[in-house]
Amino acid sequence: MSRKKVTAALAGAALLALTGCGANAGTNAASGDDFPRKGKSVELIVAFSSGGAVDTAARLVQPVLEKELGTNVEVINKPGAGGQIGYTQLTSAKPDGYTIGATGSPSVVVSPLDPARGAKYTRSSFQPLGRQVIDPAVIAVQPDSPYKTLKELLDAAKAKPKSMTASTTGLQTGEHFAMAQIQETTGAEFVPVHFSEGASQATTAFLGKHVDILVANVSDVTDLTKQNKARVLGVMTAERSPSLPDVPTFKESGYDVEAGTARGYSAPAGLPDAVAKKLEAALQKAIEDPEVVKKMNDLGLQTSYLSGKDYETFWAGQEGDFKKVLPLVQKKD
Amino acid sequence: MDTLNELLNGFAAALTWQNLIFAFLGCLLGTVIGVLPGIGPVAGVALLIPLTLNMDATGSIIMLCAIFYGTAYGGTITSVLLNTPGEAASAITTIDGHAMTKIGKAGAALTIAAIGSFVGGTIATLGLVAAAKPLGELGLLVGPPEFFALMVVGISLLVALAGKSMVKALISGALGLLISMVGIDPVAGAPRFTFGVDRLLDGVSFVAVIVGVFGLSEILSYRKGESTVVHAPGFRSLLPTGKEWRRSAPAMARGTGIGFGLGLIPGMTGSVASLLSYGAEKKFSKYRNELGSGAVEGVAGPETANNSHANAALIPLFTLGIPASPTIAVLMGAFLQQGLTPGPTLFTEHSEIAWAIIASLFIGNLLLVLLNVPLVGLWTSILRVPSSILTALILLFMVIGAYTINFSVFDVFVMIGFGLLGLALRHLQIPLAPMVLTLVLGPLMERSLRESLEISQGDFGIFLNRPISMVLILLGALIICSPLLKLRKPKALMDDDPET
Repeated sequence: MSRKKVTAALAGAALLALTGCGANAGTNAASGDDFPRKGKSVELIVAFSSGGAVDTAARLVQPVLEKELGTNVEVINKPGAGGQIGYTQLTSAKPDGYTIGATGSPSVVVSPLDPARGAKYTRSSFQPLGRQVIDPAVIAVQPDSPYKTLKELLDAAKAKPKSMTASTTGLQTGEHFAMAQIQETTGAEFVPVHFSEGASQATTAFLGKHVDILVANVSDVTDLTKQNKARVLGVMTAERSPSLPDVPTFKESGYDVEAGTARGYSAPAGLPDAVAKKLEAALQKAIEDPEVVKKMNDLGLQTSYLSGKDYETFWAGQEGDFKKVLPLVQKKD
Repeated sequence: MDTLNELLNGFAAALTWQNLIFAFLGCLLGTVIGVLPGIGPVAGVALLIPLTLNMDATGSIIMLCAIFYGTAYGGTITSVLLNTPGEAASAITTIDGHAMTKIGKAGAALTIAAIGSFVGGTIATLGLVAAAKPLGELGLLVGPPEFFALMVVGISLLVALAGKSMVKALISGALGLLISMVGIDPVAGAPRFTFGVDRLLDGVSFVAVIVGVFGLSEILSYRKGESTVVHAPGFRSLLPTGKEWRRSAPAMARGTGIGFGLGLIPGMTGSVASLLSYGAEKKFSKYRNELGSGAVEGVAGPETANNSHANAALIPLFTLGIPASPTIAVLMGAFLQQGLTPGPTLFTEHSEIAWAIIASLFIGNLLLVLLNVPLVGLWTSILRVPSSILTALILLFMVIGAYTINFSVFDVFVMIGFGLLGLALRHLQIPLAPMVLTLVLGPLMERSLRESLEISQGDFGIFLNRPISMVLILLGALIICSPLLKLRKPKALMDDDPET
């Protein structure tokens, strides 16, 4: 090989390397501005089975999100382990904006707190993008149940602890926490049955009378109440829920229990600023879209938007609260 | 007669030319989605929902429903012709369907499958019309203990799928169970069998596994000069013979019943229906000894069952608002987008739309037959493509299929790995069907077992205290013990050896 050729080859290689770097640097810097690329769809991971409240909310938001972002948004369900499977997938995805997820608490807040669960993520693995809704917890019995009031039910459960089964959507989920809080304040102890595939499975089992009590969220029971398939005895919130105006709060019945779940959307941590801004803006539009708000109301869900930053603060606050009651919902065996 | 009136109004709405076109497009797209391995009904419906958002409610739901049950047919085509299931519910059809292809009866197999799908789908839809309400409630009787007992019946079919050696069948079944356990423990949340590989946290992709185990290992096991696709069928073999029709009828009847019953139970999938139907044929068919070597019952039963299941699974959605399977849940999302809340209120608040959709199910099932029977000739002509080119194309489709499940190269390697495993199993003459069975049933069985024991607080008596579950457990025990009862003629058992 002549010297000339070698020089040329080296120069060529250098040029290639340079352009390579240049191209790379270019995409990195521009990744916010050209987000989302045309034809590349954004995946929205829902860590619960389809048909539940988290899934439904995500599917209602999806079309507006598509319009705002100008690309396909695909809702993907990854249920199991009380959300842990989906959250693991979300946080292990590349933080490029093409993977976002619905995050619901307490599931997302709690699973990293208990080392027994071996969660591969912590609060800082998520980048909160916006909160959509707060959904208070409720307790319901079969429509033909002898218990007509919350007090009757809780007294019976106190008199004979562990005599009634109650559904949750998995270990350490909102329902499980609510049950623990009831036990802590009132002494009424139920047997938790974990339907880890989600609220629709839990509801099915309740409708078929395989579990005695449905511990769920307002949105899960709004329709059932209308159909007279469940008798809701109490809402775990400070004020009555607009969706269930006839149901007294726990406070009204003399018990100081407040519990519920919050839901929002997050990305894996480390999103470029420009991408995060675009996603946040699109999400706010979608969450506050009057059509979406109305459909959410129909399902018994009250929209309660928080920006990404405020959602993060709220999340940290919840983490503090849950740390306190964690021992009650930890697996004992 | 109110129902009849409403149904007739539904037909009037469904028979408008726009809605007919939507139903036709849905059937066509569904068939194509079913043909392509990897893109199953869930992804197919989900991908197309955005397209339908701007359409009117009735039209869009009609089209999405048609896509949904259309895939249950399309999956059969590649199962029969290429021994590669297009979607999970057709995995079992590969056994006899592909064996029929090898003896030059591909056309008959596809025609029987189309007619079976029509029969199953139509009868299930009739069920939806006639008794939607009480049947929806019936599904609720199946709680976790009953669900578990049903799974026991399913697993007991390992005996039926065993072939020559029970030990080998059990090995295959155990492999399937092990594979199904990879991922995160569904209750406690701890990772298991993931060997620290993050990609495995989500479990091993079922489609990648079946495409690898059945399809790739099939191609890998060709010897030089031998092709999978043995003969392209002559024109006359496109239609089933009278004898084949007569043999298919009882299998279709059983398949309809099994698919319909399972469709009512929330949490069941089409693959469970087709597997149980195949097992039933292995047990009850007059020609059970021929199953595995190209018996028409092995196609007619499962194919009828999975379409019957697909249509019956709409019953819990329409009557209770409960999505019984992942695909139905995606469909439910489409309902919600259109401002329709599935459940009993659907019939009170949007009665015309509900009935138009039901009417369209009849029309769609008919369209599928009209669409597919004439195309049988076209599909089978695939077999005339020279085998080297065909093999390359199949490989390409398998790689694309595996990749598109999660858009991940990892799944392609999973597919290749399981292809090699499948090859090894074929070499050792270990049947593949029991593995698929446990792969499908394993997670359902685990979930329902744990839920049941939570309800009973650890008392196994729960399975025997409840009448439905007790009957099912006894049935399972009976099936497992049945070979012992037949000790007098062991020859017959030796014969039913699935070719795989």
